[in-house]
Order: sequence, then C-alpha cells, then structure tokens
Amino acid sequence: MKSRKLLTLAGVIFLALVMAVMPLMAACAPTEEPTTPTTPTTPTTPAVKGPLKYGMSICMTGVAAEKGSPMGHGKLDCIKYINDELGGINGHPVEAIWYDNAYDSAKAATIVKKLMSDGALFFTTNSSKMMMASMEIANRAGFPGFASFSSPVCTNPPKHIYAQMPDYGDDFAAFADYYMKNIWKGEGKPKLALHLLNNPTGYGARDAALCLVDDLGIELVATEEHTATTISEMESMTRIKAANPDVIFISSTPAPTAVVIKNAFELGLYPGTVIGCAHASFTSALVDIAGASIVEGVYGVFPTCSWGDDVPGMAKMTEYCQAYHPKDYGNMDYITSWAEALIGAEILRLAVESCGYDKLAAGDAAAWECVEKNAIQKINYDVEGLHGPAKYIAGDNRLDKSVRVFQVISGEITAVSGWTDAPRIPYENFPDKFPWAKP
Amino acid sequence: MGLPCGTYNYSYAKDMAILRTKTHWALFIALLVLVFTAPLYWNNYLLGVANLIGITLIAAVGLNILLGYCGQLSIGHASFIAVGAYTAAVLTGTFELPFLVGLICAGLMAGLVGLIFGIPSLKVKGFYLGIATIAAQFIIIWFINHLSITGGFTGIAVPYASIGGFVFDTEASQFYLIMTIAVLCVFLAKNLARTRIGRAFVAIRDNDLAAEVMGINLFYYKLLAFFIGCFLAGIAGSLLAHWIGFMNAEQFSIAESILYIGMVIIGGMGTALGPILGVIFIRLLQQGVMFIAPMLESAFPALPAGFASGVSPMFFGVVIVLFLVLEPRGLAHRWMLFKAAYRLWPFSY
Repeated sequence: MKSRKLLTLAGVIFLALVMAVMPLMAACAPTEEPTTPTTPTTPTTPAVKGPLKYGMSICMTGVAAEKGSPMGHGKLDCIKYINDELGGINGHPVEAIWYDNAYDSAKAATIVKKLMSDGALFFTTNSSKMMMASMEIANRAGFPGFASFSSPVCTNPPKHIYAQMPDYGDDFAAFADYYMKNIWKGEGKPKLALHLLNNPTGYGARDAALCLVDDLGIELVATEEHTATTISEMESMTRIKAANPDVIFISSTPAPTAVVIKNAFELGLYPGTVIGCAHASFTSALVDIAGASIVEGVYGVFPTCSWGDDVPGMAKMTEYCQAYHPKDYGNMDYITSWAEALIGAEILRLAVESCGYDKLAAGDAAAWECVEKNAIQKINYDVEGLHGPAKYIAGDNRLDKSVRVFQVISGEITAVSGWTDAPRIPYENFPDKFPWAKP
Repeated sequence: MGLPCGTYNYSYAKDMAILRTKTHWALFIALLVLVFTAPLYWNNYLLGVANLIGITLIAAVGLNILLGYCGQLSIGHASFIAVGAYTAAVLTGTFELPFLVGLICAGLMAGLVGLIFGIPSLKVKGFYLGIATIAAQFIIIWFINHLSITGGFTGIAVPYASIGGFVFDTEASQFYLIMTIAVLCVFLAKNLARTRIGRAFVAIRDNDLAAEVMGINLFYYKLLAFFIGCFLAGIAGSLLAHWIGFMNAEQFSIAESILYIGMVIIGGMGTALGPILGVIFIRLLQQGVMFIAPMLESAFPALPAGFASGVSPMFFGVVIVLFLVLEPRGLAHRWMLFKAAYRLWPFSY
C-alpha cells in the first residue's frame, strides 16, 4: 500500500515536472562560462560591458565524441582565455552559449533554433553532419554559422553557412596533388581506392575525386564505404586488395579509420600501399586507437599546425590545454577548435566595431546580417598561425583554404609539407553529378 | 470506462462518444486553446521543440497502431519515416509538386513500403518479426544513400510547406500546420481503435490463433496495420522534411527506430494517450539533458574534464530505466490511476 502511494506520488510529481519543463527550459539557458584559470592571470581590461553571444552546437557525447569532446574543450578554453586574459572583445565578455547535440540530427535542429532564440550572433558546429541538420534552418533565417569540419554541400551554393577550414573534398585534392608530386614514382596512372565514411565526411572526398581524378592522371579502381560504428572492414578491404591499388584514401573519423588501417595491415595491404587520410580521420586519436606501430607511415592532410610548432598562438593554447584538459594535449582537434574560437572572437571584434554593441545586443535578424556582411565577409585574420589565414573571397564560403600534409613518424604526427592553398573545386560545372551545387 | 458516478448512457452514440462529460469538453477545449495560442507566448525554440514533438507524435501514433494495438513489432520505423521524408522532398523539391500532394504521396509510399516489409509478419511474430523489420532499416537507408534522385549521401534540400500560396515559413505557422495534422492523426488513431478494424487488431495482438478461428483474416489485418502505421510514419516524414529543410539519411538511424519503440512503451502501448505522453516525455527529456552539461560545467568548474558531458547520457539512460522499473505499464496507466484516485479523493473507497 505504501509503495502504491509512493508510485502515485511519483506519477503526480512527474506530470507536474512535464508541465513545468517547458517554461523552465526557456529560463535555464546556460550563463557565462566559469572563469577560474589555474594559471595566475590578470585581465588586461576588466570585462564589464554587455556580453557578445557566441552560439555553439557541440557533439560532446554520441558516436563522434572522440572528436567532439576535445573540440568542445578547445573552444571553451579559448573563450575562457579571451575573457580572462584579453578582457573580452573591446571590453565585452564573450558569452559561449553551447549545447550538446550528441551527434543527433533532431537535437541539432532544435539547438540551432535555441541559439537563435538565445540571441547568439552566429553559431558553429564541429561536424558537417550537424551543420547539415542545422544549415537550412539557419539559411532560411539568415543566421550565419560555420562548421569546423565541413563538406562541400555546406558551402555550395554559398549562402549563410561558412567553412572554417578546407573541406573533405579539398583534403583529397591536396593529398592527391602531394602524392603525384612527391610519392608516386611508377609508370602510368596510379590506382586509387577510396574508403569512405557513409556520410558527407566520406562523400565530400568522393565528390572531389570524381571531379579531379582525370585531370590529376589517377585511376579510381575501388570505392568502399563504412559506418561510424564499424568493427571490421575485412570484407571491403579484401575487395580493395583485389583491385591492387597503389594508394588508399580514407575520409572518416578516427575510430573507423583505425579499423580500416588495421584490416589493411592484417591483409598485408599495408605497408606496401600508400595510405592517406582526410583531416577528420587524422588526429592523435587515430594513433591511440590503432596503435603507433600499425599507423606508422600513414599520411594525412590537416589544415592546422602541429603541437609544438613555433607559431604565435601555440604557447597560450598549450598552457590552457595543459591546465584544463591535459588529456587533449597532442590532439589536433583541440587546435582546430581553439582556432575556431579565435576566428569567432575576431568576427565579434569586427562586428562590434562596425555594427555597434546596441545593434548586436538585439541578437536578431538585423544583427545577424550585420555580423555576416561586416565581420564574416570582411575577415582577414592570421589565426595566430594555428592554421592558414581566415579570409573571405566572394563566392567561396571557405574562410581558410590552406592545408598541409602530415605523416605518422615514430608515432608522432609530423608535417612533411608546407602550407598549400586548396583551390575551390568547381562542383557546379558538373550539375549531373552534383545537383546540390547548382547556384 | 472510469467515468464519474452518475454518467449514464441513453444511446449508443453517447456510449461511443470520446468526450462524455462537461468536464471532458471543458478540458479538451482548454487544451486546444492552450496549444493553439502557444505561438503567442512561446519563442521560436519552444515552438521548434513543440514541432518536433508534434512530428514525432504522428510517427509514434503509427507505431502504436502497429505495435500497441496489433502487436506487430517493427524496429525499422525510422526508415519508414525516411521514405515519407524523401518522397516529399523529391516531389516538392525536385518536381515542384504542391505540398499536399507530397504529403499524401509520402504517406502512401511509406505505407506501400511498409506493406512489403510487413509480409514476413504472416510467418513470424515477436522478436523474430522485429529482426525481420530491422532489414527495412538497412535496405531503405541503403537505397536512399545510393539513389541519385535522393541526393545520395549528400542529401536533398526541401522547400517550405505551402498551401494555396500561403507559405509556412515561420516557426509559428509550421506549428499550426504540424499540430493540426497531429491532432487529426491522434483523432484518427483513437477512432480506429474503436472500429471493427481496431478490435481485429487487438484480437490479433492478444491471440492470433484465436482471432483466426473467429474469422479474422490475419493476412489482411496484419498488412493493414503495417500500412496504416507506416502511412502515418510517412506523413511525419513529410512534415519533418519541410520543417528541417534538408534531408540526409543519417537522420533516420536505427537508434531513432529504437527510441520510437521506447516512446510507445514508456507512454503505454495500446492506448491512445500512451504515444502522446511517451513522445512528450522522451523529447522533453532529450531537450532537458542538453542543458545539463553546460549547467554543470558552469556551476562546478572543478569537475574533471568530460564528466559533465558524460552525465547527460547517463541521466537519460537512468531516467528511462527507473521509469520502466517503477511504471512498466506506461504513463497512460499512471494517468488512469491518478484520475481514479482524484475522482475518489478524499475517500479512497
């Protein structure tokens, strides 16, 4: 009897909670980020003015958490640094409004609406998948945003969504160019096999390959795909082995990439065949998951500098990473998102200076338009050397266009090329293959 | 029926009425007023959540007909939603057909595809049928990813819904569209359950052998359940496509299919109220946990890295497990108990 009453009580409480949750959700948006650095620092200018709202949709959990988590840490640490040590943006603290999308499209769709309701001036996502779930809602509202890792479909045709760095198609273009100039020594056309994550991360690279292989003098002999949760690719790698490729290009995330390379190793396909990875695959997580001995010699394209490089932004980023998220040290996704926050801060600086805070404080369509026209499209920023300069060119919504080729050498991801500009791939010239690129 | 003392039925029509007392009517009208005036005091985010709930509700009502009433387990419901979404996307986006044509065709196409995957239900049932319907999840998504007309892995853009020149281009207008269709679907499902078809579904669910002996055509009614359940999934898919504006097959994962089963179970299978409560519970819980990590990190900066973000999925899982342990018959049952207790209060005899 007692338990029955308790159950009844629990039911009543639940119903009351359901009724209360809707208004509560409106009221419980996260406030300013905590500002308690472990390293003693003194703000150069006290941040006492109104906040500038920076929206973030982060996949902290879910199947892509191995990338989303360090990326979330990187950008939140950078915002902490900007507020604590730089005194915000012209005295305005940067308010990071972030939600965990858990790599779930339905959540991402509601998060972008939440960020618009919260008055964020622009928003960012880590991944192309989350951007694709959000982008049409944002495009329809004129709410600007950019994805750290993007697919060509995010920026073609160019609307209100931008790419922080070159996309997966550009990765292929850069790697293929490097391969032909520096690695391929054989006669005739090298045989290429693609192993792709079955989403835009993978198929961004495939689309570029379809555009470029003829011009580059490469023969595409196999295209295989895998899921984000794959545990074995022996079957697909056996088919690839039968095609006898000279080079395999993988565009995926670290965990499945590790599976593909391990299987190539077990089949005796690697070493022997050159393996190249797009940037979403190629972080220290890949080395950790697959094992340094297995991925030794694997190439990868990445648009940021390496840990320890002598660039202006390295010291502060390293200090914060080691103070707050030491486990992320060595992970290049942390660099990517620290750089993202620096670009975000630069956008906010340009916006405050050209639009005025009062206009931005409204966080409405007029503020978004001002941010896009006067900040995002005017940006010309060196990102403290952490990756190529962020600069907008009309018709090309990729802010940074530079990549470098890296290789795993003695278990470390080491740069083997200088910065190379990835020219925009004219997908719109192939309307039959890429209907999404129609202007 | 759990009606208040003194409520008599003088005609068959009265006995069959959904709303039987003045209190029922008052509460119903109040609910409608509350729902349809929501755009006046809810911001776009809350309307967005409500729209997601409305779309999910339509699909869950379909699954409830299939699983709750007819007892046919389907673990591929998200793929049937995908069929509807892509049908609407192609018809309205590529072929520029009107929204309503896309909506109906989305339902029909999903229903027809559901019929195909419902055929194994004649031979297998329970978990075996569940495994058979998982095939739908993989086959349908594979086709979507490999057909050029669907945009393949890249996806496909979908225009706003529009009827007779009126474009549903605001969250509020989409809310009215989605809620109207959701109310109609719930009403349809509620009535369906009380018809000959609904009783046949229940008979099949409770004992298909006995149902067959009584003259119920198992082949016909099982496939009908698949058609109706998947038709509603297709309608939900069409609305989802127009609401999000861009479709990609990754939005229809097997995890989503399982979540739909969870919604129906948590709400209460085989009741009209169950899917409503289940969908509201799960979708609000999902939104709620979204806030947990930022709030924890903000309130407790000393927490170890990654702890706060890990709490959200743990909380989500624990709440569902606790709920199933404490109330395995679903929220609808709890609501019935509450109503009964309320009616007798303060005399519990």
